[in-house]
Amino acid sequence: MKTLLTAVFRKEMRDHLRDRRSVSSVLGGSLMGPILFAVMFTVLASWNRQDKPLELPVVGRAHAPSLMAFLERYGVQLSDAPADYESRIQAGTLDAVLIIPEDYGKDFSAGRSAKVQLVMDNSRNKARFTIRRAQSLLSQYAGVLGTQRLMARGVAPELASPVRVEEVDLATPERLAASILNMIPLFLVISCFMGGLNVAIDTMAGERERGSLEPLLLNPVQRGTLVVGKWLATTVFSCTMVVVVAVAFVLVAKRVPLQDLGVKVSLDAVAAAGMVGAVLPLSLLASAMQMLVATFARSFKEAQTYLQLLMMLPMIPGMMLALSPIESQTWMFMVPVLGQELLVSELMRGEPLGMLPFVLSTVGCVALAAACLAAISRLLSDEKIVFGRS
Amino acid sequence: MIEVTNLHKRFGAVTAVEDVSFRAEDGVVTGLLGPNGAGKTTTLRMLYTLIRPDRGSAKVDGLEVADQPLEVRRSIGVLPDARGLYPRLTAREHIEYAGSLHGLSGATLDKRIGELVELLDMKEIEHRRTEGFSQGERMKVALARALVHGPRNVLLDEPTNGLDVMSTRAVRTLIRRLKEQGHCVVFSSHVMQEVAALCDRIVVVAKGRVVADGTPDELRTRTGKDSLEEAFVTVIGSDQGLMQ
Repeated sequence: MKTLLTAVFRKEMRDHLRDRRSVSSVLGGSLMGPILFAVMFTVLASWNRQDKPLELPVVGRAHAPSLMAFLERYGVQLSDAPADYESRIQAGTLDAVLIIPEDYGKDFSAGRSAKVQLVMDNSRNKARFTIRRAQSLLSQYAGVLGTQRLMARGVAPELASPVRVEEVDLATPERLAASILNMIPLFLVISCFMGGLNVAIDTMAGERERGSLEPLLLNPVQRGTLVVGKWLATTVFSCTMVVVVAVAFVLVAKRVPLQDLGVKVSLDAVAAAGMVGAVLPLSLLASAMQMLVATFARSFKEAQTYLQLLMMLPMIPGMMLALSPIESQTWMFMVPVLGQELLVSELMRGEPLGMLPFVLSTVGCVALAAACLAAISRLLSDEKIVFGRS
Repeated sequence: MIEVTNLHKRFGAVTAVEDVSFRAEDGVVTGLLGPNGAGKTTTLRMLYTLIRPDRGSAKVDGLEVADQPLEVRRSIGVLPDARGLYPRLTAREHIEYAGSLHGLSGATLDKRIGELVELLDMKEIEHRRTEGFSQGERMKVALARALVHGPRNVLLDEPTNGLDVMSTRAVRTLIRRLKEQGHCVVFSSHVMQEVAALCDRIVVVAKGRVVADGTPDELRTRTGKDSLEEAFVTVIGSDQGLMQ
């Protein structure tokens, strides 16, 4: 029994390692996510770099010397705005320009609201950070002046601000990061389904389409042994892809300037190992499910179509979790796909997890995988499946 | 030895095998002859355990195929209707795989592969991947795979179908060799000349029933025709299956 199983497994591995489509879909497909991730975060980080001093071109610097002094005190690099600043802002080479009108000084001295203009293009993400900093510095200046004026007139400044909004951000940096990085669990779960996809189709639908299923079933081997051997090979491909994806994510996370985003993520080797451990049981199930579907399909092509639909399945909870993270309940870990995605996102948030969720998610997957394999074995005894239906 | 008694099989509304009985002795080549759709392949599939008969019995060396499929598969070598190969494996790897699934390994398996490569004249293709093999080369691989465990009973479903003259001759030589070694050989064909050239005993099947069973001479005597060709036409009632 064991030698027969080994024989089936070894043949399938040898066969599929020689299949360029199987191997390249694992290696090529697994790098897509991490590369996308690296590009996104590098671009984001370059927009938000905080250590860069705020550069603010000004029109009419001479009209507001005290404001200029205030800004310079806060590290703003002031410069004279070029004449064509409007078109430059629209073109994206300038983020924002401050305009001090000529009558600023007159209004200011008379105690009226002195008007300044901040010229910007709010539709551009890249400029948004500069604009926000300029705005907050300007309103800070106004606030300081207002307070001084009220005090000079013997009025308590509190009267002028009946409500004061204080922002308390409860999201720890880790939580914030996790919400951005929620795409990682989705990618890992999809890897489970991608890695063995081609092998699962080829080993079931392909076997019959080639006409090699009938000779294979003629050997004195139990259907179950054949099915398990094929399943093990599929699982190896699936698991390999999960591991490659996880390693790629860890490498990318090291290179990408996540700190510049104010993001601290626990995506070190230990966390990655935890994630792989959390997701691998799903590989067992994904392979079995794909093989079951491929057994029903009448041809290789038909199996591909069905299995692409099956790939949508992990996307649904994955997308929902990425858009609006939910509070996990214990029973949810039992549900394949959802359980793995929850586990990985909890791990990434750096939250302590007991053994129970891991055990529950593994049990859920293994039980369902066993049911799928039993169903495939039964199907292989069905004349209509073996010899085709019309 | 193979014994088939009153086999019956229907698929939905279609009755593929109505009532088939015959005996195939060891050291004898038995031909299942009949036009396309007569029920030859279904009969063989029941014999090689992949289809369960609705009624009747089929025994291989005294073992009932429906009850002991694994034991039966050990004692038969089959060239089935579908004889697909794995395009990424070499000819030798095909034989190795079949051998290991029959529990062979190591030196025993190597020796057996050597014999088959010799017997089927496969030296040149032994280490080539089967992608792009000719019909004849594919047939050799399929035959070697079927015979790797040295089965006493050999079932061949249309073994010369689609082969050129040289390959057909190679298959015929192999069948004669198996007979000399005392194997029980059953093969099906819809080509009368093929059966006439090889068989000691002919079982003519038409519309799911055995319509004639005997040696070529007996067939001629029974029908009162001098040529086997006319005898065949007489028993199946049409000239379907004759080489024009």
